[in-house]
Amino acid sequence: MKEEIYQTFCPGCGVGCGLYIREDPEGNTSVDFMKSSPANLGKLCRFGMKVPYHYSKARTMVTGSKADIEDAIKAAAHRMADADSVTMLSVGNTTSEEHMAFCRIAETLGTRVDTGVFPLPSQITSKCGSYPEGISLDEMEKAKRIALFLDPYVQYPLIVRRLLAAKRNGAGIVAVGTKELHLADETLDIGPDRYDELGLDDKSLIVADIHPNSDPVHVKQLLDLAGRCGAKIHFMQPFINSTGVNLALKANGSMMALAQIMEDIEAGNIRTLVTLDSDPVELMPDAAAAVETLKKLDNLIVISSRASPVTELADVVIATEPVYMKAGTFMNVEGRLQENSGSGVAGIDAMSLLNGELGGKRFDYQQLHYIFMKSIGDPGTDVGDVTADKAEQMECGSVDVDNAGSSVPEGMYQLKYLYNPFMWFDQKDDNDFVLIDRKLVKKLGLKKGGMVVLGSENGKMKMRYRVENIPGGMIMTAKKIPVATGPNTIISLEGC
Amino acid sequence: MVEIGDKVLGYATDPGIRNRGASGGMVTAILAAALERGLVDSVIVLRHINEYEAVPVITDDVDEVLASAGSMHTVPVNLAKYAAGRKVAMPGKPCDVRAVFEQAKRNEIDIDNTFIIGLNCGGTMHPVLTREMLVRMYEIDPEDVVGEKIDKGKLFFRTKDGEEKAIPIDDLEDAGYGRRESCRYCDVKIPVNADLACGNWGVIGELAGNATFCEVMNGKGVRLLENAIESGYVQIEPAGEQSIAIREKVNSAMLSLGEKWSARVFTEIPEEQRINYYMEQFADCIDCGACKEACPVCTCDEDSKCTMYHSLADDYKMSMYHMVRLLHLSDSCIGCGQCSDVCPVDIPVTSIFRRFADPAQKKHNYKAGMTLERPPFLEVMLK
Repeated sequence: MKEEIYQTFCPGCGVGCGLYIREDPEGNTSVDFMKSSPANLGKLCRFGMKVPYHYSKARTMVTGSKADIEDAIKAAAHRMADADSVTMLSVGNTTSEEHMAFCRIAETLGTRVDTGVFPLPSQITSKCGSYPEGISLDEMEKAKRIALFLDPYVQYPLIVRRLLAAKRNGAGIVAVGTKELHLADETLDIGPDRYDELGLDDKSLIVADIHPNSDPVHVKQLLDLAGRCGAKIHFMQPFINSTGVNLALKANGSMMALAQIMEDIEAGNIRTLVTLDSDPVELMPDAAAAVETLKKLDNLIVISSRASPVTELADVVIATEPVYMKAGTFMNVEGRLQENSGSGVAGIDAMSLLNGELGGKRFDYQQLHYIFMKSIGDPGTDVGDVTADKAEQMECGSVDVDNAGSSVPEGMYQLKYLYNPFMWFDQKDDNDFVLIDRKLVKKLGLKKGGMVVLGSENGKMKMRYRVENIPGGMIMTAKKIPVATGPNTIISLEGC
Repeated sequence: MVEIGDKVLGYATDPGIRNRGASGGMVTAILAAALERGLVDSVIVLRHINEYEAVPVITDDVDEVLASAGSMHTVPVNLAKYAAGRKVAMPGKPCDVRAVFEQAKRNEIDIDNTFIIGLNCGGTMHPVLTREMLVRMYEIDPEDVVGEKIDKGKLFFRTKDGEEKAIPIDDLEDAGYGRRESCRYCDVKIPVNADLACGNWGVIGELAGNATFCEVMNGKGVRLLENAIESGYVQIEPAGEQSIAIREKVNSAMLSLGEKWSARVFTEIPEEQRINYYMEQFADCIDCGACKEACPVCTCDEDSKCTMYHSLADDYKMSMYHMVRLLHLSDSCIGCGQCSDVCPVDIPVTSIFRRFADPAQKKHNYKAGMTLERPPFLEVMLK
């Protein structure tokens, strides 16, 4: 057996960085650079460089025991057919074609697929971009003023070079509510009531992100800001095919946020959950709480290309090939449709069989590919360098916002997650520390190389710290930690 | 009978290879012969994906070697790391060859088992920037391109309809296109450290465009060439005085251009500003580690000094990772440009490392990757 080389894309976020996966005859994988990839010119971030660690193969299981694929499909079909209702979740970690296969199963069951992202508002005054596919990353370099509502270095590293290019082209960059960023001309710690001070106009660009744990209130505030000043908004997205699945789903109607799904499971309104390459334990801010919630399900059926906490909890696991081996397409955050070189259709074949077991029609890759292409535009268009042009323009403008916000009690702090690829997949990295402000170091009397104790209703834990200039009263971390109860958590902090 | 020091003109005897390969397909034919007759177990070649992309593969399939024929100036990879631990033949630009030597100094590559057919190199280009250049400078649809060549200071592109368009490389580079920065100031154009030094410089008259000038540099070169001749893959004839002179003239011109670029890139930074210069250059680093991974002379594992002394929790203004690497590479950096290519925030890593390494290498009259005779000046050579 020879070395296999796959042309594929980094699963770490929606930028869709092209890369090669080399698989040696023993099955060991390594990453290599694909310099002709237009989204990234072969460049990769820290996650991309470690992407072979991401591909831990799942095993097909039924009630905790290894099973063959046919038995697992029958077991899944039996559970799904007997359920009163079935909730289906696919956040965008796999190909468009597999997602369409999942949607066909949903149709057979008379349900829909949710992407875990809340629906965007539809109030209108002016057009400020489109969602889910945003502006091209080249266009980002041409903005005259950019307001950043995320930390690109940690969260979406491949846009740093785009922002630096914009700066070389004369753009002014202002970072809002994050740590001091080297590429920003200024960093402002201001709330929505002062966003007009950002000095944005119709040649400006707002860069933020939308993900399963986004605060809808904040997203609405940004849309409102864009509507007032005429700036465009570009929403970064966290998964390799977030754009594709959200675009495909747009035609199918409503979307339910992940938090709402978990609340409904907790309340007993959802008893059967089927996931496609989407792990709520990894996705939810509080992993332990998510595990307890998922245990309340009658049926947890997981279709997955990789092993993760949810495959350990599932009643049935239908394992598919790693993402890099799959035949199929992904749409990146700028609406660029990109195609894997792999020819694997095990995932699609499994879902076809499952659909057949449920009384639906069988399907194959070519049919699903056609359906997806049709859903985003001209089905006759060649895949490879297609940019979706059928997405609705994102509508911005005056939005009613519940602006109550959460206040931080005296002596407490707000722990903010800096969502990044390692965090979304709970993958190990050298990131077990929190960012704290210099003044806080002094206040707590911390010593170099020391630790801090973070406390919340979930308990206490020690962590290393790194000193940064960050907004007062805020603690940040790029690692998912047990004391967090949400993307933002009120915590106590002590030195030790 | 081939001897060390011979300078010959040669080409593949098979018309198919000769037509498909660059400059008469001689390099492809020598590689195929080495594999077919068991001189090596495998060959490193570029598997073509399209006009702007190819991926290095290690193959024991002669057909795959033959299919790889043709030069690709828009595939700026370095092949040295793929040779580690193998009895292998490979084509190599000067920077590939230099990296092989640095690997050999650290016992990662057995130089006796590594047969290198060096390729003259005036520089390579980035594929994405090349596509952009074709649209903006040449007004050519990149998908229409079927071939390219560098000749007499111009970069030519040939399109499907048979048309050829050329623009002086100087004009392209002034516009921000053309060769990668590290190629512009590179100071080795003919790979005299390879076993065979091949290229089209000096191929004149009827053979122009259909043959390769080849200099036999050592005993392995003799074996490679004799093997290819004996197997009927290659035909050679002695290079004439005029060919030799033209080859040297082109080399001198390229080196002279490199010196000019070097002066342009490496402007003096006052001593009191140097620490700030290095800190500012690395300030946008996102700690991806790609520059280490892509470095063809780095032989360290994942856990190495530069990574073990570094922690994301540190708040040094310049990370230990960069400080260790600047020092570590000062006796081994060959200026190949791989680190700059893969830097996700576009830090000109190669030029920064060259700036740091050059004074030390000049002080020791040391040029990394040129010979095994000179050990690295900062460490013990394992060979």
